[in-house]
Amino acid sequence: MQIERSEVILLIIIALYALGVAVVNPAFLSIETVFDLVRTSSRDIILVMGLLLIMLSGGIDISFMSMALVGSYCATVIMMRYEFSSVAVLITLACCFGLIMGLFNALLVSWLKLPPFIITLGTMNLFHGLMATLAGTRTYGAGILPPSFNEFGSGYLLEIEGEYGVIGLSVSIIPVALVIVLTWFIIYKTMLGRGIVAIGNSEEAALRLGFRPLWLRLFAYGYIGVLAGLAGSLYICQVNAVYPDKMIGEELMVVAGAVIGGTSISGGKGKIFGAILGIVIIYLLKSTLIFLGLSASWNNLFVGIILVLSLSFTAYQEKMRNQRHLLFKVESR
Amino acid sequence: MQEQDSKATSAPCRDLKGRPLLVEAIGITKTFGGFTALDDINLMFKGGEIHCLAGENGSGKSTLVKIISGAYTPDKGSIVINGKSYSALNPAQSMAEGIQVIYQDLALFEHMSVAENIALGRLRENDQRLINWKKVDAIAQAQLERIGVQLDLRQELREASISTKQLVAICRALAMDAKVLFMDEPTTALSGREVDRLLEVMADLKKSGLAVIFISHKLDEVFRIANVVTVFRDGRKIGDFPSGDLNARRLSYYMTGKEISYPKYQRVSTKQESFVEIHGLCKKNMYQDINLSVRPGDIMGCIGLLGSGRTELALSLFGLNPPDGGDIIINGHKTSINSPSAAMEAGIALLPEDRSTEGLFLERSVAVNATAAIIDKLCHGWFKCFDFRRERECARQDICDINIKTTSEQKLAGELSGGNQQKVVLAKWLATKPRLFIMDNPTVGIDIGSKAEIYETAQSLARRDMAVLLLSDEVEELTANCNRIAIFARGRIIEILDEKRLADPHIGSYITKVVAAGRRLDDVVSASADANMQQIATVVTVDAPLRDTKESGVCK
Repeated sequence: MQIERSEVILLIIIALYALGVAVVNPAFLSIETVFDLVRTSSRDIILVMGLLLIMLSGGIDISFMSMALVGSYCATVIMMRYEFSSVAVLITLACCFGLIMGLFNALLVSWLKLPPFIITLGTMNLFHGLMATLAGTRTYGAGILPPSFNEFGSGYLLEIEGEYGVIGLSVSIIPVALVIVLTWFIIYKTMLGRGIVAIGNSEEAALRLGFRPLWLRLFAYGYIGVLAGLAGSLYICQVNAVYPDKMIGEELMVVAGAVIGGTSISGGKGKIFGAILGIVIIYLLKSTLIFLGLSASWNNLFVGIILVLSLSFTAYQEKMRNQRHLLFKVESR
Repeated sequence: MQEQDSKATSAPCRDLKGRPLLVEAIGITKTFGGFTALDDINLMFKGGEIHCLAGENGSGKSTLVKIISGAYTPDKGSIVINGKSYSALNPAQSMAEGIQVIYQDLALFEHMSVAENIALGRLRENDQRLINWKKVDAIAQAQLERIGVQLDLRQELREASISTKQLVAICRALAMDAKVLFMDEPTTALSGREVDRLLEVMADLKKSGLAVIFISHKLDEVFRIANVVTVFRDGRKIGDFPSGDLNARRLSYYMTGKEISYPKYQRVSTKQESFVEIHGLCKKNMYQDINLSVRPGDIMGCIGLLGSGRTELALSLFGLNPPDGGDIIINGHKTSINSPSAAMEAGIALLPEDRSTEGLFLERSVAVNATAAIIDKLCHGWFKCFDFRRERECARQDICDINIKTTSEQKLAGELSGGNQQKVVLAKWLATKPRLFIMDNPTVGIDIGSKAEIYETAQSLARRDMAVLLLSDEVEELTANCNRIAIFARGRIIEILDEKRLADPHIGSYITKVVAAGRRLDDVVSASADANMQQIATVVTVDAPLRDTKESGVCK
């Protein structure tokens, strides 16, 4: 596995930024910050793994936050009605809902042959609307939810005695690590994963080699559905409350993370490490605002700057490559 | 080791009784709607032979390839592969029988490595669920060794040159156990040296027992490498000819049914002052110290290998690759051309090499394409209302003027044949009334009949005092059409041949040698042989194609 240049640049940016924050506020440089980052970014790292696979296939899905919300909300409603209390049931149900919604996306994308962005924009609202009409819009607070949710959401894998009491590494690192390894295995070790990368590069060429795009799409969109269910469950356990309108609206930050990490919007290209770094950088910016004494509105500015910079870098590389191959674009003026 | 290899590779190309592989098409007929694309074709491809399919665009050769590869079902007839008869093949059966087609677009994966591109098809065919990267490398390496080429297995394909991609496509076909390999115009995008390498590879494949079938418009390649040439015309087979029995003239006669030859261009203009003068033009890493002047009525040929600075210079003249230093003097005025619109204002037009992506809107009508460069002039009044009627009229005029064969000016440009598409691009630029026309390989992938018409157009434009810069890789194309030729190497012009030198009948081989050597040669040309001059000059075009408008229905 070689590390791409864009990934090295991201690492350098992260290191420089962390140093800068540490100069302003030395309290930033602590293990607590790292543990906190792991916990808060866990949901989006899981999601970006699914998104990476989708983008490798040449598609895009922006309904994953909707699937995460709908999957976990409906699972909770069922659990409340039938008085289940295990987190395992929550995750299983949410993943099943996610899978169904993901497969629905895949079928629409394959049959309608419209840009997946538009299709998933539609299904994003469709899923959420169905949930609101069928399962209700009640908020389930800490008192009502099974205590196992909170135990899982704020459980620690290992604890360290810090300056301000006990700090710990969240249990959510386990599902995150499993998802990363599983995604790596799918992309690099299975014919399925290579087929998904192949259709992202050239569907026509993949067809000629005997790949079947419909099945590959069903897998990719189903996979992000399942991951959305998992990520949604993790999230409601962490905040220990189920709202009918949270998460939706945050999907574009995850897309931004994937793109910052070097995932190509036109498909066929993207790295796991890069995508993780992209999410990490977004959460790093978010969490350091407090250390810098800035308001939350700065977050968008920073993410915007990083996104534009990373896109410019990709475009510049592309231009250099084209010049080597004597392709010139007419500069508009 | 060497011997073992060749045995191992030639073995599968024989059937059980040890007879060499045979693919036979018997009485194949295929119609689309009312149009007969193939009419009762009987044909045989043998292992250990290079077989060329020749014919103009639309003559049916691609249809035949698609039937054998299983993409089309024939209406009548059968295909016999090693004694097994099929009335129709599907793509999977065709592949299982060892038939592989490398189309012009190559169908490779840009973001994957060279090794994976080679091996993926084979692994997929074997229904491997998991990927073993060592096996991927081993498969790729084995194929590369088979064709005797070294490539960086780890290289991402989009970083690779077109010739490397071509080799990767061949290796992929070999990895999928190709016994019959079809190649559709494999050399179109390659430069001279790369073509040599590819032809060597094809010869090696032949020796190892494969049947190699290639489709090419480049007659010199056909003669260099093919054992058998099958000529198609209008969906019929004209015949199978041993390539030794053919020469360029006879082959083009069989292909077109007409005696076609290219008239030698003679400059008639009396104007001696240059239209464009280039002094000491340079661009870092591309070309240095270029001095060139082109007069009205000149057809200046430019030849040179890839990276010689030839294409780079042409793009600079059209404002796409602004130079670092030096002067461009147009009509006596120093002009800076830093955008295509500045170039158009200066009276310069460029016919790009890749007409489908850079020259045409394939999804738009002929009329839209033909008037695209003068769209400003078709808009009137305060509100810039677009004059659709004049667009149509202009297009009809073009269709007649340069003989575009189309049923209507509303037909989509993408539906025309290559030669007619090129004529539409020509028409588009001629509408701007350019004074210098840069033509970058105008006849790539174009059949002989249309080629002659494009030459005729270029020459008649030059006779009417247009300056033409003709970039080409084909020496014959240049010697027939140019009154001066500049030879490029390593970013410089190493020699400019004038009319006197071009009159030498051996100048063609001299140019080839200079281009290959990349330096001036002194001893090759014999200045004598005036008698032979006639050989190049005795050429007549049949039917004066510019005035022949009978076939285009619009003009009636």
